[in-house]
Amino acid sequence: MGKKRKQREAENNGPEAKKEDAASEERPKRTLLGWKEKSEKPQEKADTVAAPGFRNKEKVLVTCSRRINYRYRHLMLNVVSLLPHCKKDNKVESKETKGATLNELVELRNCSSCLFFECRKHLDLYLWMAKCPNGPSVKFLVNAVHTMEELKLTGNHLKGSRPILTFSANFDKDSHWILLKEMLIQIFGTPKGHQKSKPYHDHVFAFSIVDDHIWFRNYQIAVPHNESDKVPRGSLEKMTLVEVGPRFCLNPIKIFGGSFGGPTLYENPFYVSPNQIRALQKKQKTGKYAKKVKAKTRRKMHELSNPLEPDEFADMWKE
Amino acid sequence: MAVNRRGTGVFDEDDMPEDEMNDVGDEGYDDSESESDAEEEEEDVKLPEAKKNAVFDRDGIMDKLGDMSWPQDVPWIQRLAVDVDSQQEQEVDVNDDLARELSFYTQALEGTREAFGKLQSMGLPFLRPSDYYAEMVKTDSHMEKVKGRLLAEKRQIEEAEERKKAREAKKLAKEVQAQKQKERAKQKKGEIEAVKKWRKQRQQSGFPEGDKDGDLPLDFEDGRPFQKSGKKRPGVAPGDRSGGKLRQGGGKGRKGMDKNMKKREKRDSKFGFGGRKGAKKQNSAETTNDLRGLKQSNSSGNKKRKR
Repeated sequence: MGKKRKQREAENNGPEAKKEDAASEERPKRTLLGWKEKSEKPQEKADTVAAPGFRNKEKVLVTCSRRINYRYRHLMLNVVSLLPHCKKDNKVESKETKGATLNELVELRNCSSCLFFECRKHLDLYLWMAKCPNGPSVKFLVNAVHTMEELKLTGNHLKGSRPILTFSANFDKDSHWILLKEMLIQIFGTPKGHQKSKPYHDHVFAFSIVDDHIWFRNYQIAVPHNESDKVPRGSLEKMTLVEVGPRFCLNPIKIFGGSFGGPTLYENPFYVSPNQIRALQKKQKTGKYAKKVKAKTRRKMHELSNPLEPDEFADMWKE
Repeated sequence: MAVNRRGTGVFDEDDMPEDEMNDVGDEGYDDSESESDAEEEEEDVKLPEAKKNAVFDRDGIMDKLGDMSWPQDVPWIQRLAVDVDSQQEQEVDVNDDLARELSFYTQALEGTREAFGKLQSMGLPFLRPSDYYAEMVKTDSHMEKVKGRLLAEKRQIEEAEERKKAREAKKLAKEVQAQKQKERAKQKKGEIEAVKKWRKQRQQSGFPEGDKDGDLPLDFEDGRPFQKSGKKRPGVAPGDRSGGKLRQGGGKGRKGMDKNMKKREKRDSKFGFGGRKGAKKQNSAETTNDLRGLKQSNSSGNKKRKR
């Protein structure tokens, strides 16, 4: 505990702490367990040099609503296994999911963003992606879900290695896509130097916009190599990707200014809710009987209005 | 209070769809009927045209973006994000699975190449050494399953191929057989023809040998059609219990034997000889495999012994 706090302090007043370090370099720091060893210092320095004054302390709370479908629950668990910087929380009753409770929950867990999987009618999955203290938040409809458990997806990678995030070029097309891209980078990118993260890069996330939906794919990177810091010449061309999963497709519905609420900044003009779609399909199926009855009566009317002429040969064989 | 306001924002959003439903009306449904038919599987229908009252606050979005985004000078290693501007971005058809997946794959591949180039230039270790073992995303048991499935798939393919091959071979064999039969029939016909021809010729030339029908005095017309060749085969016949001695001129100077044989023959001709007994008593594969009698007798014997 004590050690941790010390580290945070050092970050908070970065330059000052650095100066102090420089001044008292001869004398090692005293800690609870004795004298701090010198070997730890260079590492710390390297960190601060790499990112002066900035440290990515993103923490993502991942939860879902109650009565979630098993498939969607598995998807959530897969996402949890992909994000070492996430905290999974208990299911939330979906009646109380409106804003306040979730915000509280995120605050309680010291998180800075939230992924909330909301399942409605055991059928439709909505994904809320929110930056927590002060927004923005996005609501997606999730389509085309394939979980990691599917045997078709044959790849595998280290748990907690930092993913490379690739974005298709059309993320820069419009302002709301730019915003979404930033959110995706912050939420799905594993912070550098995170405790649970591993130092190598062996998988890549692909976010790409097709048909106004964001499609997510996760691939394992397979490169023939011998050294860990150099790719042998020509093996970049030999590099192949194996899909690990999960797969899903996000259809943005709305972007809000606050976290889980606030003013609407964007609204998908093409969005039709799945409820409407189902209603439509039902409507197509209805009216079969009514149509039949209608046709029957029409036929009857027709027959009444133009009766058959009396047959002149009708009595021919009756003698 | 602020929290409450947020809550109402969400409620507003929830009310919206119903309003839309009213707005769209019957005509809208009729228009989109054909569409929903086509895309029933995807469960994804788009409005035919953009809603006019949809909110799009570009300035607000850019403000928010400014608020939330990291400082500009954050090094790339923190973000690890790559933009891929692939050339074949010309509107991939969503419903064409292969094309879509290929576009994702190429995007990821190009992005990874770029990222690896950058990582390499930084000189940091970024590739997993072969002796670095750690927990993986998928467990070993799961990977085993995956492997099993792959193998099963491979085997299935191979089997299917084999079946196909066998079928083709069968077809070919049939053809070959038909051809052969045809050839044989042809040959037969030809031979018969030749014989006829030859006979005619002979008739015309006036029977040089003076036979009754003009036939050849064929070998097999002297009453003994199929006689064994006089050669004795070496070895012992299967039914011979004398160990082959009988065949080697067993009755040498034994008159009685000869006499007996004659008698035997006579009796055989009178009563019939049903074939050699020896062949019947010999073991065959079936009898050796049949252990019924043996087992029964054994078990019964044991019982008796115990008593």
